[in-house]
Amino acid sequence: MSLNVAQRRLLQEYRALTNNPPEGITAGPISEDDLLHWECLIQGPEGTPFEGGVFPAELKFPNDYPHMPPTMKFLGDIFHPNVYPSGLVCISILHPPGDDPNHYETASERWSPIQSVEKILLSVMSMLAEPNDESPANVEAAKMWREKRSEYEARVKASVRASLGL
Amino acid sequence: MDVFGDEAFNVPDSTDWLGTPLACLMPVEQAFRCHVCKDFYDSPMLTSCNHTFCSLCIRRCLSVDSKCPLCRATDQESKLRGNWALREAVEAFKNSRKVLLEFARTPPTIQAILPDQAGPSSPSKRKATEMEGPKEEDPESKRPRRSTRSTRARAAELTAAILQEEQDTTPSADPDYVDQPPDDGLVACPICLTRMKEQQVDRHLDTSCPGSPQAASKRRPIPAQTPQPSTFPSFNTRLTSQTNQKPPERLPALAYSMLRDTALRKKLSELGLSTHGSRQLLEKRHKEWITLWNANCDSSRPKKRSELLRDLDEWERTVGNPGTAAGGGGGQQGLGLMARAQATGAQIKDKEFDGKAWATRYGGSFGDLIKQARQGIKRQTLDGNGEKADTKGGGGGEDVGPAELPTLQAREGESSAAPTRMDIVPPSSPPRPGQVDDADTEHDGQAPGKDAIAEDTAMREQVIPGTPDKERQWETSQQQQPPIPGDAQLSGMKKPNPETC
Repeated sequence: MSLNVAQRRLLQEYRALTNNPPEGITAGPISEDDLLHWECLIQGPEGTPFEGGVFPAELKFPNDYPHMPPTMKFLGDIFHPNVYPSGLVCISILHPPGDDPNHYETASERWSPIQSVEKILLSVMSMLAEPNDESPANVEAAKMWREKRSEYEARVKASVRASLGL
Repeated sequence: MDVFGDEAFNVPDSTDWLGTPLACLMPVEQAFRCHVCKDFYDSPMLTSCNHTFCSLCIRRCLSVDSKCPLCRATDQESKLRGNWALREAVEAFKNSRKVLLEFARTPPTIQAILPDQAGPSSPSKRKATEMEGPKEEDPESKRPRRSTRSTRARAAELTAAILQEEQDTTPSADPDYVDQPPDDGLVACPICLTRMKEQQVDRHLDTSCPGSPQAASKRRPIPAQTPQPSTFPSFNTRLTSQTNQKPPERLPALAYSMLRDTALRKKLSELGLSTHGSRQLLEKRHKEWITLWNANCDSSRPKKRSELLRDLDEWERTVGNPGTAAGGGGGQQGLGLMARAQATGAQIKDKEFDGKAWATRYGGSFGDLIKQARQGIKRQTLDGNGEKADTKGGGGGEDVGPAELPTLQAREGESSAAPTRMDIVPPSSPPRPGQVDDADTEHDGQAPGKDAIAEDTAMREQVIPGTPDKERQWETSQQQQPPIPGDAQLSGMKKPNPETC
């Protein structure tokens, strides 16, 4: 009685993530007082300029999760075409169901209740490796990524190193 | 995050099988779980695209998006069909899960029975399958009994091993047994089937045979063994309850755009539901009720109306009333809050009032009130309950009722104890700085002293973790909450008042 659908499902997911953790990802609620607020750590995928970095982010779930997607926000600086300067992640899997009014994405790429925290984080990992420059959240990063790739990579590497305190 | 070792948060999951020799049951259990809620199927329903979800889950999904969450094919609620075979399978698996899991987690027993099977340290799927085969067959082969018993019974027997063997060979669970001739040394007359000694048959046929089969009691001197109803109680009762009870009727969806406010209110009051709130809230409430009601119609054990009303109330306090969440429909927030403020008094007095949820939700405000109250009672509480608060600190949170909060908070007051609690305090739930300041000035006016100063520093320390950015977000979202008439009431009822202490 004390747990509603969203909380129960999140506990279930947390349990699955701890019992069977996917590589490069850690996630869980920050406190049991608020199961709708998670923190997660994502490893920078190998073979990308993000390699070696560990990126903390927070996930905030709506009360009607899983029918509506959570929002995800990186807590540190991250220079990426699909991450707003505020850290907010812009990725199709996090967009509510239905068709995109801007027609950038088809409905099939968007949130569906069968998605999960694990799938979101895996998508974000692959987003780090392969930015989508069609609907950039950070125009400067998108432009640099498209036109001056080496400069982009150098900048990302520098920020990763800075985030590790090297 | 190891604070989640708490009992209340112990949700069974398919990954529980990992690390046991029966890891191969993980995909089996996954198949019994809904893709939406990740729980075992509750009244599973088939969509037109042949996917299955819990009735409530798919109805909610369709009301949001009108599409199958798995393949995104368009579908309608009215086309859903019950998947009864799966419902029974899930029921059976759920019933056997606990025993199976216990069995899987006690490898010593297995090794005692099967010394030749060394326990694998990291069982792969395949290994586990190989393990499972002989394990289940071996004890069977020792027994003279052929049977088609459920896995549950099998697992139970295995764990209890040889001890049970003698008692267990009763034929109770074997329906076929009934048709075997009783082993009484007699033979049946080929015509009337009456049992007699072999030598008597010829004379019987010549003289006393009635010429047609006789009543069962005569034929079978052994007490009649019709297939035991007791063996399948759930199955039988379910069947009868299905045939005897008329299922409640489903409610039709309404075209809200065709209805005026008054008409919609009338519909709601006909259903016995609350009619206050904005138009949007009325529609949402009606929709939710239809979803709950229709999903309940699919259930094998339908809930009572009062339980459904409670579910609706729960929904209204969380999803329907987006005051607390990050998501939700922000536009109607103000109206929702007004409605809640009106409902608050009655709500708290309600028998079904969910105190825990309330405590979680207004934890911050409670904190402020508690801080005020702490002035007078601090010393005594510390001496009496200090240790209790310490142990509770690890698993605190939802299970800590409002009544226990003062001890927790009082503990923080001591600057030495502050770090323990700070680890647990999320950046998301600091007390509202604005209110803290107010409270501080009040304190200074009322009862300035060493304690107050120590507390102030403790409270400020608490605000520090997390990025300042987040703090601000939280602050704004908190300030959108109502002026909390409930808190005042609650504090009147439950919390010691600073003035009186």
